[in-house]
Amino acid sequence: MNNKINYDCIVVGAGHAGVEAALATARTNNKTLLVTLTKEAISFLACNPSIGGTAKGHLVCEIDALGGEMGRTADRTTLQLRMLNMGKGPAVHSLRAQVDKNSYHRTMQQVLEEQPNLDILEDEGAEILTQEGKVAGIVTVSGKTFNCRAIVLACGVYLNSRTITGEIIKDSGPAGFGNSKNLTKSLIDLGFQIRRFKTGTPPRLDGDSIDYSQFEEQKGDKNIQTFSFLTKKANPNTRVCYLGYTTELTKKIILDNLDKAPMYSGVITGLGPRYCPSIETKIVRFSDKDRHQVFLEPETNDNNQIYIQGMSTSMPKDIQHKMIESIAGLEKTKFVKYGYAIEYDCINPLNLYPTLECKFVKGLFCAGQINGTSGYEEAGAQGIVAGINANLYIKGKEQLILKRDNSYIGVLIDDLTTKGTNEPYRMMTSRAEYRLLLRQDNADQRLTEIGYSVGLVTPERYKKFKHKMRQIEKLKTYLNNVIAPSEQLDEYLVSIGENPAPRGITIDNLCKRANSDLYLANKKLKLFKGFSKAEITEVNIDAKYEGYLKRQNQLIERSRKLEEKRIPAGFNFKAVKGLRTEAAEKLDNIKPLTLGAASRISGVNPADITVLLMHL
Amino acid sequence: MENLTDTIVAISTGSTSGAISIVRMSGKDAINIANKMFRSLKNKIPKEFNARYLELGNLKTSGFTEQALCVVFKAPYSYTGEDIVEFQCHGGLKIAEGVVTECIKNGARLATNGEFTKRAFINGKLSLSSAEGVMDMINAETDAEVRAGYELLNGGLSKIATDSQNELTDILSEIEVSFDYPEEQIEYITKAKVKQRLNSIAGLLDDVLESSKTGNLIKNGISILIVGKPNVGKSSLLNRLINRDRAIVTDIPGTTRDSIEDSFTIGGIKAKIIDTAGIHDTDDLVEKLGVDKAKQLIDFADIIIYVTDSSNPLVKEDNDIFELVKNKQHIKVANKCDIAKTRQDKTSIYISSATGEGIENLKQEIYNRFKSPKLVEGGVIITNARHKQALAVALEHVNMALDDIDNQTLDLISIDLKLAYSALGEITGNTTGEDIIDSIFSKFCLGK
Repeated sequence: MNNKINYDCIVVGAGHAGVEAALATARTNNKTLLVTLTKEAISFLACNPSIGGTAKGHLVCEIDALGGEMGRTADRTTLQLRMLNMGKGPAVHSLRAQVDKNSYHRTMQQVLEEQPNLDILEDEGAEILTQEGKVAGIVTVSGKTFNCRAIVLACGVYLNSRTITGEIIKDSGPAGFGNSKNLTKSLIDLGFQIRRFKTGTPPRLDGDSIDYSQFEEQKGDKNIQTFSFLTKKANPNTRVCYLGYTTELTKKIILDNLDKAPMYSGVITGLGPRYCPSIETKIVRFSDKDRHQVFLEPETNDNNQIYIQGMSTSMPKDIQHKMIESIAGLEKTKFVKYGYAIEYDCINPLNLYPTLECKFVKGLFCAGQINGTSGYEEAGAQGIVAGINANLYIKGKEQLILKRDNSYIGVLIDDLTTKGTNEPYRMMTSRAEYRLLLRQDNADQRLTEIGYSVGLVTPERYKKFKHKMRQIEKLKTYLNNVIAPSEQLDEYLVSIGENPAPRGITIDNLCKRANSDLYLANKKLKLFKGFSKAEITEVNIDAKYEGYLKRQNQLIERSRKLEEKRIPAGFNFKAVKGLRTEAAEKLDNIKPLTLGAASRISGVNPADITVLLMHL
Repeated sequence: MENLTDTIVAISTGSTSGAISIVRMSGKDAINIANKMFRSLKNKIPKEFNARYLELGNLKTSGFTEQALCVVFKAPYSYTGEDIVEFQCHGGLKIAEGVVTECIKNGARLATNGEFTKRAFINGKLSLSSAEGVMDMINAETDAEVRAGYELLNGGLSKIATDSQNELTDILSEIEVSFDYPEEQIEYITKAKVKQRLNSIAGLLDDVLESSKTGNLIKNGISILIVGKPNVGKSSLLNRLINRDRAIVTDIPGTTRDSIEDSFTIGGIKAKIIDTAGIHDTDDLVEKLGVDKAKQLIDFADIIIYVTDSSNPLVKEDNDIFELVKNKQHIKVANKCDIAKTRQDKTSIYISSATGEGIENLKQEIYNRFKSPKLVEGGVIITNARHKQALAVALEHVNMALDDIDNQTLDLISIDLKLAYSALGEITGNTTGEDIIDSIFSKFCLGK
């Protein structure tokens, strides 16, 4: 063909994974093409109008620390911010922003359009071209062929997708967008195992038709923090959310019409997520519960569309009306969009290395919901890693593997590529065994160096980060300073419910007092000057939880041996005498890169690891 | 590390002599080697052994021809998962040794200690926990030890570890759900409830660990020290207890020149007994050995039998010796009661080494001091150091969590609970933590 065009990297899909991947490759000086069915779908928030939340807030902070875009865009389009889990330990504090979904999409589109090295094409990927086991290019539905060295597949839920609302089944992507019908075959031909997953979304209502007096108002936090290290000032809280409940009638309507529910009539066969069930599933599985929560969330300032969190459903339209109208305050509400379930093809993530590169096609990376995950944040996290590694692959450098002890992203990708998943995978703080070390507040400390070394963190930002680190080091030298006994000191201690310190106290020991907060103490006691709140908070946390942090670090140290023991490429597990057949097959299928990863594969027991260790 | 692919051989019935002895071979050449040595009476030239059929035949070695039974187990349906041949020959070490030598001559290698079980484990025929149980059973010399090994094999310990781990899983899922789903309408678990449930786990683990002391006694035996002034009949008591003449007994005081050690069993518990060095008339224990040495011996012992002479009144020397042992676990014994029962200590057990009178009472008393209620009920006894370690670590973390729970948030407490959980995983083999997440979803209605 004569009209071949060359790119370094082609990214298929412009959702949350695709944009991070495309920005990462373009920013590292690769000529990048981003292919999307429509520009309307760029960074589209197809489900809830919020970014962050438990464990997801951590992912956003980590994407930001690596030099990604999600945190910054969320900060710029925030309508309301809340820090969840305040009052619990710092490890589980999680930031969640209600964002303006239209504005989020427009802001990200602008970032993409202003990005040098990046072209955006409205088209559909049809076939992946390979040569000698390496990516060679891509053919689109409109018949164009592009040569490239690396591909990132970030097709989201668009592969052979169909949406289901009662008896109405549409051959369609989410929110009425088109879908992608050709790529699955190409993936099967390449050797991917394809699965069918399911997810869903609730109805959207016209906010003007809601009686808010029946709901409890939920306001944003007063002291607002942001996701991004780069955001100077957070958006003020301009919108509120509301909390209400389903009723006995809602329950009755659903139970009376279960035969019409695609989830139960056998129409839907895809595997859905346990953590994000439809309202019909909740009512069936937890039949003892009389009512379920319903949150009303603003979608955008462009109009008064409201997202009905908690009412995800694929019931027929008339039943959806009845269900919604059974909720106090929604009796006279107007529907803007109906809830639906969506089924789609995705790959088995065990087909990928923890670099997100395919095990059988070099230069082919997959990120986001195509890997069987759910959530914008999970997608974005994989997108930036796939982008980073596509760049490293193109440049012939060793690829990046984030680890369980340095990031939630590491936990996410390690889980996907060693354990696989049988439902859309959602990040949870419970999945991170080193949770106390992987906090939102220290994401920059954990990942900025990495982001800088791979070329995504700009020199200005790096300089700012280095300054913060120096400040923290300096502040730490003050920890052993003794605060002389004084009335103010005792007053402060008593005010937080602690015993007075008649002989004074070191700053370190002040931090270790259960109820103390170094930032607030400093405001009262004027212990030192010239440190930001973030810097003081870091030092306070490190001092306060020193014992626990030490324990977590010891744990990492203990598993380091296994984590660092590499299994050579092409290692023949089936030839290992003494390995149980089940374990050998699992290992052969997954091909873990380290003994540590091998030990986390289900069906591989400690005895198998001992045998492997003997043979390595 | 041993070669894991060659053929190994050993006398499976151990070094003691019995009516029969069994020689076992395992490995890919086992059947070939057997074919060279063994001829069935029925089939003169067996080409192929029938698996799991006991065949009578002649076993030829360079020194003798022995009529023996032979049974073949084919891989993977054998103990080790490899081809196994077992010869059952007449008792006596010489015959068994001759057969082993012949096997080695034909290409087998002498197995190292526990190697059959190790292969069984590596070939996936036994779990780690079961393998350790078998190893302990193989090494078992007494009934109680066999029983402990058997319990382990049957998963008694595994059950307690699993139960505790399940309880931790449940608590953790209740704690974790509050972090991952802070806005749900769930009754989140309270600290008081966590505390209460942790206390019962701690109690359970504590009990099992307590029984590990008994486990150790069973594995290593009790050590008994006999003390007393010269010529109270310490050596004759020792002979009585072990039921043979080990110590030279004369009526000349101080005949025993060195401390003497031997062992016997009481109710399945192995007891190692030490008779203190003979002591000259004029010497007492302390003068002869020095305070330190005496104390060392006394400290080392699990129990001390303090012997006095029932035929004579107590003297100062008796009391001096008693002073040394009174703070240790001890039993007072008045020997030579056949001669005369003069008034000794009111708690003394009267015995006669000469006639055997009272010896059973003494044995019963020793047994009573060491039997554990769990041992008697046939409960779990830990005789394995790795399991004990894992349980101790789990308990330590549960206790750390309990220490901190009033002052710290539950997400910090969960760190220790997860450490306890994974320590128990060393025994149960479940260390993934995936079940915590499963438990969250099965228990709570979540998701918006």
